[in-house]
Amino acid sequence: MPGHVSEVIKDMLPSSLDLSRLQPLVVSTVVGAGGLLVYFLVIWRRTKAKTLPMGDGWWGAGEKPLAEDKEIHPFQIETSDEEIKDLYNRIDQTRFTPPLEDSQFHYGFNSIHLRKVVSYWRNQFDWKKQVKLLNKYPHFITKIEGLDVHFIHVRPSGLPEGQSAKPLLMVHGWPGSFFEFYKILPLLTESRDGLVFEVICPSIPGYGFSEAPHKTGFDSIAAARIFYKLMQRLGFKEFYMQGGDWGGLITTNIAQMRPENVKGLHLNFFPVTKHNLWMLVSLLLGAYVPFLVGFTREDVKRIFPFFEKNVYNMLRESGYMHIQATKPDTAGCGLNDSPVGLAAYILEKFSTWTDKQFRDLEDGGLERKFSLDDLLTNVMIYWVTGSMVSSMRFYKENLNKNLEKRPDSKIGVRVPTGLAAFPNELLHAPLVWAQQRYKNVISYSYMLRGGHFAAFEEPELLAEDIRQFVKKVEK
Amino acid sequence: MGDGWWGAGEKPLAEDKEIHPFQIETSDEEIKDLYNRIDQTRFTPPLEDSQFHYGFNSIHLRKVVSYWRNQFDWKKQVKLLNKYPHFITKIEGLDVHFIHVRPSGLPEGQSAKPLLMVHGWPGSFFEFYKILPLLTESRDGLVFEVICPSIPGYGFSEAPHKTGFDSIAAARIFYKLMQRLGFKEFYMQGGDWGGLITTNIAQMRPENVKGLHLNIFPETKHNLRMIVSLLLGAYVPFLVGFTREDVKRIFPFFEKNVYNMLRESGYMHIQATKPDTAGCGLNDSPVGLAAYILEKFSTWTDKQFRDLEDGGLERKFSLDDLLTNVMIYWVTGSMVSSMRFYKENLNKNLEKRPDSKIGVRVPTGLAAFPNELLHAPLVWAQQRYKNVISYSYMLRGGHFAAFEEPELLAEDIRQFVKKVEK
Repeated sequence: MPGHVSEVIKDMLPSSLDLSRLQPLVVSTVVGAGGLLVYFLVIWRRTKAKTLPMGDGWWGAGEKPLAEDKEIHPFQIETSDEEIKDLYNRIDQTRFTPPLEDSQFHYGFNSIHLRKVVSYWRNQFDWKKQVKLLNKYPHFITKIEGLDVHFIHVRPSGLPEGQSAKPLLMVHGWPGSFFEFYKILPLLTESRDGLVFEVICPSIPGYGFSEAPHKTGFDSIAAARIFYKLMQRLGFKEFYMQGGDWGGLITTNIAQMRPENVKGLHLNFFPVTKHNLWMLVSLLLGAYVPFLVGFTREDVKRIFPFFEKNVYNMLRESGYMHIQATKPDTAGCGLNDSPVGLAAYILEKFSTWTDKQFRDLEDGGLERKFSLDDLLTNVMIYWVTGSMVSSMRFYKENLNKNLEKRPDSKIGVRVPTGLAAFPNELLHAPLVWAQQRYKNVISYSYMLRGGHFAAFEEPELLAEDIRQFVKKVEK
Repeated sequence: MGDGWWGAGEKPLAEDKEIHPFQIETSDEEIKDLYNRIDQTRFTPPLEDSQFHYGFNSIHLRKVVSYWRNQFDWKKQVKLLNKYPHFITKIEGLDVHFIHVRPSGLPEGQSAKPLLMVHGWPGSFFEFYKILPLLTESRDGLVFEVICPSIPGYGFSEAPHKTGFDSIAAARIFYKLMQRLGFKEFYMQGGDWGGLITTNIAQMRPENVKGLHLNIFPETKHNLRMIVSLLLGAYVPFLVGFTREDVKRIFPFFEKNVYNMLRESGYMHIQATKPDTAGCGLNDSPVGLAAYILEKFSTWTDKQFRDLEDGGLERKFSLDDLLTNVMIYWVTGSMVSSMRFYKENLNKNLEKRPDSKIGVRVPTGLAAFPNELLHAPLVWAQQRYKNVISYSYMLRGGHFAAFEEPELLAEDIRQFVKKVEK
């Protein structure tokens, strides 16, 4: 304390008080007050702002009406001869451009292989049969915030005595759909070790059979809020969630909004958005002293060489993201008239995001992990609903402003979290990085095989990891 | 200079070096097919109040398409395209298309100066149709004979069949073209890829180039000098060599150059990585193709057109002109091959290519248009162009200079050539 102040205090105090004993008291009071101040400014504020504000929205055309229909209507996917004939006409008038010699999949979808895929599509693929397959689970549509939201609701067939099905919300991404979950659904809706789920797979508004927003600004927080309202409307007070791609971000947002309703969050895609000094240090040192920065040997194997794998590779693979985040209406325009153009655009991702090395193959390795029927069914969902443009807009709505400046990037995720890191995923995030946002990771698995479309490609592996995660939560 | 061969399969022993006259043709089937496809377009309604911020607004697109379907006369436009003589000649295995426009009446004692003009993406030789009359008439004793080729992979020039066809290859092919036409010395003019290609020619064979005129000259040398000039330029511009006009056009730097470029370079990113995928649907959907191309004619003419419901498309261009350019891509099915040029050039770091290390010493004239995508002050341009004898801050105009402001550009070319000729 400044000298003259202590003089003043000395003058004010009764002479019986010993100043030398007072000074430590004052110092500790100051320190204590300072500590309290720090607590309030930093920690209390942080714990106070620990949930994401939900907000509200309305996305229908024109003005918002006074009342909204809250009914849940059963829904069936339908097709017609006209729809199929129109598709075939368009396929028949495709104008292919020959690829460069020896270019494999390095320039995008090789059109020689595209012809083969299209030939199958035109001559063997049976859309009516696929529609029946899609309809094997019950579909519904309900209006939320002015939009018709589509979802399937799959209950276990025979529930053993004493067991209850755990509600599980699974959210898809781009260029996927609810259909990606059709292989994993049987594995989750059957009882195993006393654990069984009832699963809700909605379509993100603007994707497939969910109505596209009519107003600007529909980002992952809006989608999260709508899906939360859906779970409320279905009567679920507590539920689990699983997501990848946009589904990973949307389910994360729900966990940030209403952690009290979320029993657990399982993700197969969790890119880290907090680029800070800590991450930089771990990158610089990680290849040499991994354990010092919290990397495992597997982390090192998946991350380095950093520039090659993460920077160059991401530059090579993110052109679609760049154009969709800036000019979605232009980028999607032609894809809504040309089914072959749409298929090339979508299936290129199912090739490269399943395994980067498929770029070196003449056929893009497309049918190594997926059947053409499955791949084309997903494409048809975008085609028959004409939803490619609206699906692309989601990129602009989310990426237009810096992702690190959004409210959700500052809020931690405190619900029990399970992370499944697939080896061929686009970017690998070690546990130490993920923990910057996910504060309560109770399960982190290095998966044996698989890429970006985990549920579609490796349903058994993913189902197993979800189950072991939920078992941990339930303990 | 190197050498190359881009035809399909193996290189034959002998190559046809003849120059064959060529006519653009169309047919009823071609037009009927176009109309069928237009009629089956599936438009996606735009978001309310989004103008051109999400790309080409489909409400305005419907109007453009309606004109295309009902009033645009492709047969008439083909006649217009054929008013200049077209030719095709095989170079390095590819059929190279070009127009060769000689002045109609050459006054006594004058000779026409040969001028090679190269287009870019998503343009074509057609962009020069407005400026050609202004350059092929004699004025102040100066008149040009103009060669406008199509870059291989664009329009009526055959697309390369092998990988690796970059601007250096295109430059070499166009140089061989000028040789084949008998020109020992010539001038060149270019913008967009045409700017890079003509620059490459000037770097390969400076002895044949009398002068180089550019309306785009993006700076690729990012070095300390540039950073320093950026940091200080807003405050003490004269210290770092910026003029007041430079300052006006460059700052605020992040907003104008970084954010704006990020907002406008999505097409470049996807074309430089996945051209075959990006162009696939555009070869089946004429409306998709039109939206993709015309969005650039809106935004690259004036960034502020993004705020307009109609993208300001018809403020500087007529629909007939815009659609004729689109049709050149459509009838030749050259969108995919045109996009591949981005990958071939941008795949490796542009700063590591041999041409980035070599200065350009031929007399150079630079025309800086105010609405061009990026502004490069003279001090930056001089890092590569060592012999700039003319630098003009143009009054009006954007990226498609020859198409949008032919008089202004022609005037600048003429005053530049006069300076060279002195």
